[in-house]
Amino acid sequence: MTNDAASEPARLTAIVDEFADFEPRERLEALVEFADQMAPLPAELAEKRDAEAHRVHECQTPVFLWVEVRDGRVMIFADVAPEAPTVKGFLALLIDALSGASPAEVAAVHDDLLQRLGLVDVLGMMRMRGLHAVLYYIRKQAAAAPAEH
Amino acid sequence: MARDYAHPEALVSTQWVEDHRRDPKVRIVESDEDLLLYDTGHIPEAVRIDWVTDLQDAVVRDYLGRERFARLCSEKGIANDTTVVVYGDKNNWWACYAFWVFKLYGHDDVRVMNGGRKLWEAEGRPLVRDPEPKYPSANYVAKEPDPAIRAFRDEVLKHQKAGRPLVDVRSTDEYTGAKLHMADYPQEGALRGGHIPGAASIPWSKAVNDDGTFKSARELEKLYAKENKLKRRGRIIAYCRIGERSSHTWFVLKYLLGYPNVKNYDGSWTEWGNLVGVPIEKGMPAGAGA
Repeated sequence: MTNDAASEPARLTAIVDEFADFEPRERLEALVEFADQMAPLPAELAEKRDAEAHRVHECQTPVFLWVEVRDGRVMIFADVAPEAPTVKGFLALLIDALSGASPAEVAAVHDDLLQRLGLVDVLGMMRMRGLHAVLYYIRKQAAAAPAEH
Repeated sequence: MARDYAHPEALVSTQWVEDHRRDPKVRIVESDEDLLLYDTGHIPEAVRIDWVTDLQDAVVRDYLGRERFARLCSEKGIANDTTVVVYGDKNNWWACYAFWVFKLYGHDDVRVMNGGRKLWEAEGRPLVRDPEPKYPSANYVAKEPDPAIRAFRDEVLKHQKAGRPLVDVRSTDEYTGAKLHMADYPQEGALRGGHIPGAASIPWSKAVNDDGTFKSARELEKLYAKENKLKRRGRIIAYCRIGERSSHTWFVLKYLLGYPNVKNYDGSWTEWGNLVGVPIEKGMPAGAGA
C-alpha cells in the first residue's frame, strides 16, 4: 500500500509556496479565509457526529473528521465548532490540499508542515499540538481506510 | 455573609460595555484561547491581546517583560489612566489571565466583562470582522512586577511544607492524577499526575453560571469559605495546568470575595509535575468529600 516514491500532493506544495510569500499577518488571514470556506458537513455524517464518533480527542474544541478512500482517492469531511477558527482553518486547508490525492501522497506529508506554512511563529508553540493531531489523524485514517472498488 | 462582591468595580456588565465602548478613556480588550476568534467577530472598538504571542515571552518560559508590556499598551492606545476592560472566550479564562498581567505590571483600572464573549454574543450585541482598530499611541509606563500576586516554585514548596492553603482549580481527574490534562485538551508535557499535597480541589468551573457569568457573592462565599474553609486572612496560592484557569480563580478570590493575599502559581502543574523530588499526592485526600 505504501509507495515510497510518492511525494506530497502538488496542491499542498502550492499552498506552502503561497504562504511563504505572505507576511505573518497574511498567513493568519489566509487561515481565517480557509475556515470561512469550509463546506458544511453532509447530512448523513451529521448524525454520526452527534453520536460523538470520529472525534479527534487531542483538539481543544470538538473536531469531527471523516477520512475515506473512494476509487483510490482520499475524501475528507469535517465539522469544527466556530469557536475554534484556528483548527477549523488548518483543517479546511488540509481538505483543500489533500482531497483527491492518493493515500500514498497523503502519507507523504511531512510532520514539518506547520513550520513550512510559517504557522509556528504566528500562532506560538503552545497551539501546535492540536493542529499536529489533525494532520496525524488524517494520515493515519487515509492509510487505514479500506480501498473501495 | 457578603451580599455584594468585595470589589464590584472590577466587574462590568455587557450593557456597561455597550454604553462605554466608544469612550476614549475606556479600552476594550479581547483575549481568547483561539487567536483567530477575534478575526471572526469582535466588539467593534475592541483591540486584541493574545496570551501566547503578546503576553508570553517567546524564548524564556515567562510573561513578557515590563518594557514589552509598556510597549504593548502604548501600541494598543492604553495609557496608565485608561480603564481597561477585558473579555474573551472560555468563560473569560484568558481575559482573567490578561487581567492578571495588567495587575502584575501595576495597571490601576482593569475590569472584566462579566459573561465574556459568550454572553455578548448570546445577547445579540454587535460583533464586527473589521481589522483591529488603531488608537493614538500612548506613553505607557509599567511598574515593576508585583510579587504579591505571583508565586514561584520555591515559594510554593515552602508554602506547602508549612501547610498553608493551596487551591488546585483543575478538574477532579487532573487533581487525582487519573489524567494529566483536561478532557479534550493537549497534554502539555507533565511527567507525573496528581496534585501538590495539601491542596484543596476546587475546580474553577464551580465559580461560574451556565451563561458564563460569575456566581453571586453569596454562592462564592459558600463554595470557598464554607465548604472549603478557605480563611480570608490566610495566604493562598492557586494553580492549575499552565496558569490560565487559576487566574480565573485568583480573580474570584481576590476581587469578588476580597481575599487580600492570593497568588497565582503560573508555573502550575506543567512545572510541578516535572520538578525532580517535589512531593506529589494522588487520589482524593482522606476524608475529602466527593
